[in-house]
Amino acid sequence: MNSFIELKNVKKTYKIGEQKFNALDGIDLSINQGEFVVILGPSGAGKSTLLNLLGGMDKVTSGSIKIGDNDIAKYGDKELTRYRANEVGFIFQFYNIMPTLTVDENVNLIKDVTNTSKNSKEVLKSVGLSRHANKFPQELSGGEQQRVSIARAIMKNPKILLCDEPTGALDSKTGVEVLKLLREQADNDTTVIIVTHNSLIADIADRVIKIKNGKVESNEIIKHPKQIDEVKW
Amino acid sequence: MLNKKMYRDIKKNLSQFITIFLMVMIGIMAYSGIEAYMNGMKKTSNKFYTENNLQDLNVMGPLTKNDLDKIKKLDYVKDAEAKLSITGLTDNDKTLLINLIESNNISKFYVVDGEKFNKDKSGVWLDEFYAKENNIKVGDTILVKYQNIELHEKVLGLINVPDHLYDVRDESELFPDRKEFGFAYLSMEEFKTMDFFYSSIMVDVDNIDKRDNVKNEIEDNIDNALAIINIEDTSSYTAYQGEIDEGKTYVGVFSGLFLFIAMLSVITTMTRVVKKQRTQIGTLKALGFSNYKILFHYIGYGFWISIIASIVGLLLGYFFIGKIFIGLEMAMFEIPNGHPVMNSSSYIVALLVILVVSLITYITGRTILRENPAETLRNKIPSIKGNVLNITKHKIFKKFKFETIWNIRDIIRNKMRTITGIAGVVGCSMLIVCALGMLDSMNFFVDLQFERIYNFDYKLNIKENISEHELNILTNEYGNYTSQTLGIEIKNEGIRESNNIFVTDASNYVRFVNKKNKFINKPKDNGIFVTYKLAKNKGYKLGDKITWHIYGDKTYYTSKIIGFNKDPQNQNVTMTKKYLESLGIKYTPDSIYTNKNLKNIKEIKNIESIQDIDALKDGMNNMLSMMKTMLILIIFVAIVLGSIIIYNLGILSYTEKQYQFSTLKVLGFKDSQIKKIFIKQNNWIAIISIIIGLPLGYYLTDWLFKTAIEEHYDFGASINTITYVIAALGTFIISYLVSKFLARKIKNIDMVTSLKGNE
Repeated sequence: MNSFIELKNVKKTYKIGEQKFNALDGIDLSINQGEFVVILGPSGAGKSTLLNLLGGMDKVTSGSIKIGDNDIAKYGDKELTRYRANEVGFIFQFYNIMPTLTVDENVNLIKDVTNTSKNSKEVLKSVGLSRHANKFPQELSGGEQQRVSIARAIMKNPKILLCDEPTGALDSKTGVEVLKLLREQADNDTTVIIVTHNSLIADIADRVIKIKNGKVESNEIIKHPKQIDEVKW
Repeated sequence: MLNKKMYRDIKKNLSQFITIFLMVMIGIMAYSGIEAYMNGMKKTSNKFYTENNLQDLNVMGPLTKNDLDKIKKLDYVKDAEAKLSITGLTDNDKTLLINLIESNNISKFYVVDGEKFNKDKSGVWLDEFYAKENNIKVGDTILVKYQNIELHEKVLGLINVPDHLYDVRDESELFPDRKEFGFAYLSMEEFKTMDFFYSSIMVDVDNIDKRDNVKNEIEDNIDNALAIINIEDTSSYTAYQGEIDEGKTYVGVFSGLFLFIAMLSVITTMTRVVKKQRTQIGTLKALGFSNYKILFHYIGYGFWISIIASIVGLLLGYFFIGKIFIGLEMAMFEIPNGHPVMNSSSYIVALLVILVVSLITYITGRTILRENPAETLRNKIPSIKGNVLNITKHKIFKKFKFETIWNIRDIIRNKMRTITGIAGVVGCSMLIVCALGMLDSMNFFVDLQFERIYNFDYKLNIKENISEHELNILTNEYGNYTSQTLGIEIKNEGIRESNNIFVTDASNYVRFVNKKNKFINKPKDNGIFVTYKLAKNKGYKLGDKITWHIYGDKTYYTSKIIGFNKDPQNQNVTMTKKYLESLGIKYTPDSIYTNKNLKNIKEIKNIESIQDIDALKDGMNNMLSMMKTMLILIIFVAIVLGSIIIYNLGILSYTEKQYQFSTLKVLGFKDSQIKKIFIKQNNWIAIISIIIGLPLGYYLTDWLFKTAIEEHYDFGASINTITYVIAALGTFIISYLVSKFLARKIKNIDMVTSLKGNE
């Protein structure tokens, strides 16, 4: 099976003053389509940098990132914008939803950037937010806000869902609900990549990648991942 | 959807957007209002002068029918009309300037009510303002009396005439008194019984560039012509033009300053508003919005607010400032259809403001967008160059309290914000000093003229052509302190200019002052004094010689400048009686100065009018009163604008410090301690700004007086200490109250969200 995402010798170096800092130091990875991937690692390991590169939010210093047949490492700003608009959905730890737009409007915002968007009503229903459609984010709980963020991400029917600590700001019960939603997306052939500290999430993943000091420590395929309800949170 | 976001964002930050709105609106209102007023003044008179064919020259006589015919035939003369102007009386012994004419094609009437001029009709066309003041209507009958001729004339029309915009009874009166003095026009047929001559001929030239040729021709061919005066040198014309010239400087200075200060503040605020949206910009980018779409969205914030504010500002400028100012002028000048006129410069300025505000949002947005979306999603901590703060590590600073050090460092870190803050407050205190200072200066100059230079209680204007014996009776009775004013023409490098000589034999009753308003002796008997402003304008130096002749006499004299004096009202030449006589000219006094009590005396034989010093002073004050009204309006706008700017900068500085204040709160600082830190910095800024603003206010006032005011005035800034105190205290109190008001928010800082927002 051909991998859907393939990273070859990806390096990302930041300059802080006179000093150089290698956030990623030669990453090689491959991920298949529809996989539920968990990237684990301690703080400062390079997880978020990796996620930003995969999402076209930052540029590599060297190396290649192939998504399907395209190397996004070679993309210019315009192509990256198009890539972000059509192919990836982001889910942030602090939701990053527009505080002045209602739930429905936040989700429909996607229609302004892509033509391939889904029906917002169905999307809201799928994340269980139908009855909150006309509320403003401030009127919702943290879990509900994260679901708005997920709804917004899946609204554009992305090939990849990138999630940065999606349960980090949530209690365990709400966290489980969010993970279930994400798992569903993977089951529908969307590649879901989650970056987290929380090693428990690894139990439900199809693939677990461990990162340390900007390098891949391990890349393991889990043959029989646990069901979410089987895991003790 | 982004439009909805913009609408709601604006709603959410309403107070900031309202201040932006108000600042743009007031800035544009002040600019376009004053501009519309000035332009309205100009256009109104241009229209009136053109449509009603104002003459180009007045030839002063006594002149004859033959002279008129000769003038009509001269090259470049399009038309000429004769007029006999005589000062007569009307009902209740009020003064009436009677003008007798044969036709009315030059300086044509604007008929407000009634009928057009017709030389065959018996009746009077009356000054509209005078008629209004005295409740006279078309169809009423009024008395027209000159010497022994008494006519009862029916009022045929109420009129405005282009060369009667601003008529005063005589030269000593500064302000028109429309209740006591008016003008009237009658057909010459009405005064047939009189021995006839023309007092002046109005000349319309067909090419204004050839006016000097026409003047020379008249001088050479018309022996009766005593003086040939350009219309621009006549009192009605200069009074109106003077208003326009004064106003021109207001347009530039006041409105420009208003706009500048307002824009400074708007720019700072707009930048902050966009910067505050940093993470949202990052999110939009992460969602796949193109830079162009995001920029367009954020430009909208500045664009829509400034476009609406500009439109409201333009409307208010026209209907509020423009109409009020024009209304004030139109009550003073008798000119029809006065209305403000908006011109392209106001629209251009409004457009520029919209552009600048939009550009600022664009630049701020673009700077944020240039970063990676990944970076944009993180909040930016203000960058500090490593060594800038080192200065505060110096020994001296060790002695300072924590709050002082904190504030010094905060100012160093946020230099731009501090500078804009200072510039805004400096501008406000400067405007207050200037507006109040102009009032002070005017009062000072009224005082200088009527308390210092004029040292008499009454001025008696002697009738023309009285005998030596009659004069002696007067001087014996009221004292031999007299003067004569001679209308002259000065030849200066080929240019001929009208002026006058004040010939003094008034001893200490009319005094002289130097540049510093200190008394100096009157000129010696071997030359002339010229006023400082005249000398400066014409480039005269001590020892220079000027050549002049008296109107009506073609003999030229050359006099040496032996000194300078300052005269607030008149830029002219002064000499003594002895010097005049040494030139072979007979001294014929026209005024007597006295300190005798003439309170209840209405009439003196051989005296044309009795003027008491208070009445003269009132005349001057009246004339300045309109300027004062305008200044009060300017002070009002300055205070409103100043308060908004101070409030706005206060909010900005509060918002930026909120994060650090919440940290201090977490560390256990009391609210009162934090409030103190906040208020302290704002106080420093206010004090520094006041220190800079006060002297700048002085210089602005001085400059305004020197450049803006009519040519024949010589005013400078003379500002009372109390004005500085008021401006300083006013600015400080507004700033302090705003800080106090904003400091109340510190109590409500939610430590958790405040800090989380910056994770």
